Amino acid sequence: MHWIGVVARLVVGGVWLAAGLLKIPDPTENVRAVRAYQLLPESIVPAVGHALPILEILVGLCLLAGVLVRANAVLSVVLLVAFVIGISSALARGLSIECGCFGGGGGPAVNAAAKYPWELARDAGLLLLSGWLVWRPRTPYAVDNVLFPEDGDEDADEPTETLIRTTE
Amino acid sequence: MTKKKSTATRRAEQTAAAERAAAIRKEQERKEKRRRTLVIGGAIAAVLALILLAGYAVQSARDTTGEAGAVPSGVVDEYAVPRGQESAPVTVTVYEDFMCPFCGDFEQASEPMLQEYVDSGDVQVHYRVLSFLDGASDGADYSTRAMNALGVVLDTAGPDVATAFHDLLFRNQPAEGTSGPSDDELIAYAVEAGASEDAVSGPIRDRQFEQWVLNATDDASQDDVSSTPTVMVDGEVIEFRTIDELLANTDAAIQEGLGS
Repeated sequence: MHWIGVVARLVVGGVWLAAGLLKIPDPTENVRAVRAYQLLPESIVPAVGHALPILEILVGLCLLAGVLVRANAVLSVVLLVAFVIGISSALARGLSIECGCFGGGGGPAVNAAAKYPWELARDAGLLLLSGWLVWRPRTPYAVDNVLFPEDGDEDADEPTETLIRTTE
Repeated sequence: MTKKKSTATRRAEQTAAAERAAAIRKEQERKEKRRRTLVIGGAIAAVLALILLAGYAVQSARDTTGEAGAVPSGVVDEYAVPRGQESAPVTVTVYEDFMCPFCGDFEQASEPMLQEYVDSGDVQVHYRVLSFLDGASDGADYSTRAMNALGVVLDTAGPDVATAFHDLLFRNQPAEGTSGPSDDELIAYAVEAGASEDAVSGPIRDRQFEQWVLNATDDASQDDVSSTPTVMVDGEVIEFRTIDELLANTDAAIQEGLGS
């Protein structure tokens, strides 16, 4: 079952990395894209627009390399839940805005609302994979395996060794 | 009997002590490992947080929105190009991008009606031009260049020439995704509208009002304008699904504004 984790890391990490990189060229547009959702107070809109692409790139790189997988998977879940809330509320309020998920989103949108279901489905899939990584953060080909070696006596089939161990 | 029993007890005690020692050792190892995990994990998290902060600072610095820039003389409400008299009782605000095809459709359809209201002194139109379609001109930033040129024409030749230039640009609107008129062509349109070539060519090429364009676009997004065309009559957004509907509802709102 280990390969599921590797696939999850590559897919989720790859999507975050692409989403972040595509937003980098136009910080002004990122701010407008965040604002278009009309959910956050204006005082924090620019900060979110400027920080989000960097955060996405970092989460993406960490998941691809397998660094702090559980913590980054938790971040991934939190971000995806926020996006799902954003898109659903845009849908519910009848806003016609571009997702802005992969850059863009600062401008007028034609038939933007028609894309909402597909965007929600995509986020749900990514949410599932991120959730898997929160549950099973131990995967092959991960830097974590070198930094935080597993106990020798633990069953290899149960990679329950966690990054942040809860008190036993 | 007691001796034998005590030997067994001692043996049991020794085993128990050894087990306890092993348990303590294991616990210490576990604690040590946990400490190591926290230190390494914390160090990596700290480095990531620093990178995030640095990246955020870079993105903020690259975003010049809101910085002061040259503003064309003759604008109304900071960012609008006026058509008609200020004394007109009704104000129609049109948010549009020179690259937006629906804006071109609206311009074509609404021109006779709005011109009539303007001529009778009932309406002043405020053109709030935006540049959010820069990405749709094949890297040529047509939206920004066209809006900058509009500012230049307003600044040097006044609102009548500027609105004529505005109409010319929409009449010759490029297809979305193409690079649009070059700076030379914009200058030619400006001259055709009635501006002086000497006065406009420098500022059009140097994008004198680029910061104003950026601020105007951001300001529109703060007004919750997320699509173009957006039409407001006395500040009220006109709802529509088709351009015909937009026209009819705008007309109705103007009539209502005049009646009250």
